[in-house]
Amino acid sequence: MAEIMTEEKEKRSFKDIIAAAFTKESFAKGVFTAFAAFSILAVFAIIFYILYDSIPAFREIGFFNFIFGDIWNPKAGEYGILPMILTTLLLTVLSVVIGSVFAIFTAVFIVYYCPKCIKKVYTQMVNLLAGIPSIIYAYFGFEMIKPIIEDMSGRTFGYGILLSMIILSIMILPTIASITKNSLESVPAQYYEGSLALGNTKNQTVFKVMLPAAKNGILAAIILGIGRAVGETMAVQFLLGGAVSYPTDFIIPISSLTSKIAQEFGESGGLHRQALIAVGFILLVFILIINLALWFVKRNNAVAGNSFFTRKIKESDIEHTAPNYKRTGTIQDALRIICYVVAVIVAAALMSIVLYTLIKGLPEVTWHNMFGKSFNSKPTLAPAFVSTSVIILISLAIALPLGIGAAIYLNEYSRRGSKFVSTIRLFIDTLAGVPSILFGLFGYIFFVKLFGSANLLAGSFTIVLMILPTVIRSTEQSLSEVPDSMREASYALGAGKLRTVFVVVLPQALPGIITAIILSIGRIVGESAALIYTAGSSFLMPNSLVSPGSTFAVFMYNLQAEGLDTKFLAYAAGAILIIFVLFLNILIMLLENYFNNKAANRKGKIRTYIDKLRKREAKNEEN
Amino acid sequence: MKKIENFNITGDVAISVKEMNLHYGTFHALKSIYMDFPVNQLTAMIGPSGCGKSTLIKSLNRMNDLIEGCKITGEIKVGDTNIYDKKTDLARLRKNVGMVFQRPNPLAMSVYDNIAYGPRTFGIRSKSDLDGIVEKSLRGAAMWNEVKDRLNKSALGLSGGQQQRLCIARSLAVEPQILLMDEPTSALDPISTGKIEELCTELKKNMTIIMVTHNMQQAFRIADKTAYFLLGEMIEMDDTKVIFSHPKNKKTDDYINGRFG
Repeated sequence: MAEIMTEEKEKRSFKDIIAAAFTKESFAKGVFTAFAAFSILAVFAIIFYILYDSIPAFREIGFFNFIFGDIWNPKAGEYGILPMILTTLLLTVLSVVIGSVFAIFTAVFIVYYCPKCIKKVYTQMVNLLAGIPSIIYAYFGFEMIKPIIEDMSGRTFGYGILLSMIILSIMILPTIASITKNSLESVPAQYYEGSLALGNTKNQTVFKVMLPAAKNGILAAIILGIGRAVGETMAVQFLLGGAVSYPTDFIIPISSLTSKIAQEFGESGGLHRQALIAVGFILLVFILIINLALWFVKRNNAVAGNSFFTRKIKESDIEHTAPNYKRTGTIQDALRIICYVVAVIVAAALMSIVLYTLIKGLPEVTWHNMFGKSFNSKPTLAPAFVSTSVIILISLAIALPLGIGAAIYLNEYSRRGSKFVSTIRLFIDTLAGVPSILFGLFGYIFFVKLFGSANLLAGSFTIVLMILPTVIRSTEQSLSEVPDSMREASYALGAGKLRTVFVVVLPQALPGIITAIILSIGRIVGESAALIYTAGSSFLMPNSLVSPGSTFAVFMYNLQAEGLDTKFLAYAAGAILIIFVLFLNILIMLLENYFNNKAANRKGKIRTYIDKLRKREAKNEEN
Repeated sequence: MKKIENFNITGDVAISVKEMNLHYGTFHALKSIYMDFPVNQLTAMIGPSGCGKSTLIKSLNRMNDLIEGCKITGEIKVGDTNIYDKKTDLARLRKNVGMVFQRPNPLAMSVYDNIAYGPRTFGIRSKSDLDGIVEKSLRGAAMWNEVKDRLNKSALGLSGGQQQRLCIARSLAVEPQILLMDEPTSALDPISTGKIEELCTELKKNMTIIMVTHNMQQAFRIADKTAYFLLGEMIEMDDTKVIFSHPKNKKTDDYINGRFG
């Protein structure tokens, strides 16, 4: 067989090979491959440009002085970031520990203890918590939690690690909880039965069998949570306080890597700006390390249950005496109660954030505040409507074809287990893990310099990179659920690959694509860190694609940062954002239900279709 | 901590089922069942799919509680205790009435931890006790020599037949008085099946075994008593030899001789 193949290959002339390379099919394959490889390009571009722009700072300041210096004073030319690194690490560790404990209990509650009637609502609630923009968390922490800390500690300012930690752990909770929930749900049901049949109570089964069996998924979830905590910018910038010192106290103004960049980038120049980009590079290194760790955890999905502690067991001849069997499980019963408590706390946290935003904001949502003409001295939200919509439209117009193309390559064209594909996946995961402030830095270095100014187009291009992984994953997931029999049916009728993909497979993947669009819109609407320095900040109506424009979230940021007495507008923007996010969540839920029902009905529909055909035939016969 | 007592089984009957009816929602799955399972014998339940034999075996240690809409009336007594009494202690019931499932279901733990999981549930912590139990149970399931060098390896890495014997060993570890087996060999190859049959013959010397099987030859080979089920009714129960040579009921005869099912 192999010999015949090689002979045929030799017979093909050079001209044939060129002709074959330019058929529609192979051209399409080339395009899809290029789209898929785009993620690799994007990650390298981000690493390269941020590194390239921080080299002057490393050279000027000296790499070790920069990393290990303890004073950050740009005016005096001192740039040491060790205090910020330590703050970032401490803050991350604390919030991930608290966040994951709460998240794991929340997930256990949802999967095993939640009453059926509220299960759906509660799950959606946790999803909603994930969708709330970080700028709203920032406002909530600033206006609700900070005063409480000030009251309780008796200090003038409640800024610091304690405040940030509280908000940050709420922010990473939904990420960890939803992945933990998924891995708990994929633990085989036989484990549950098997454990119960040995006389365990439900609580013992849940905490001693099901939870340990899901440990790989939980580990991956926690690492993702670490990534989010390290990269979170807007909330911590509001809540840390901005001074630079070692984290010697939980309630002192302090800075992390991300908060420093967001705080000073706008007013910086020269070496100061290069130093901030260098801070971004250090952050990027952290993120890449975390991503690699995640990759290893996912790849080393070794069979669960291998015990690390090996103890030799002696073969014994000792006569076995009947042991005294006792009732146990009080610890697990207590854990179950903790589950309920945690679930109530999480629900209360969400309710208070949503209610706070709506109570503050809804009274300010007036016709004039929304649609009146906006001036620098007396802004309204009208420009935010336009800017937000423009950025959503442009970035989706680019990211959708790019992402869908990449997903098609990954699912339809790639060979199973090929090195190239696993590399692409690694880079897509990496891109998904890059914090938005770094997209902002890259967008500033690349697109803003390209256009000469921060504008809507530069902002949209930056956003494309950010939402691309979401689009690819969601589409790919849907594509992989299309049964192979459909493809076979199409090929069997003589259709080519391209026709099969576009006419048969892609329409079936519509739910995934729509979900991707909604998720992307959610991210864009809530995004601030990536847009502030790329789309610019302006209270004026943008008059072209190359004029600066602020989305709602950026609006909220500017109003707080500039300390204007127009904060009421920020509340209005917050209320609009929350309502919009709520709307998107409900939309996703409805769509899921719709598509699930449709899938369930599909068989039935085919049957009715066949019935119709039969009736028609019968009629024809009568005639 | 309260001690867990054995069931008080005196006389020849380990489990007796009286006037038992079972409904899944509106479906009447078991109709007025009367049965006595003899002590230290192997009772096989045969019958076509959907006849209710698996449902019955799951009722004997109340695994049916997991199924929504499952309602049971009547009486099932283990020894002199009615297990559907409101005060029934499920942990005590399931410790003493062990169960082996159709598909092997080792937990995602090491071989050792799988066996030790049951005893640990009932408060046995001492390492030497656990070591003893693990060894005894694995020997009891005739697989100590196969796995003694890989006790710390994941149980999920064992072959299907080994996994099933591990599950039997796991049940033995809490010293049950009665062992329920729900088609324990239907997912296994003939050689593993043979080993498990051998094991059952060994185990029934000091233990009551109740087994559901689809395989009539298997029932013929190892069962002391055989019960035939059809459409939720227990048609006939007698010594295996009698059932397979001179069944009293014509329906049983049809099934045994392949005229039905």
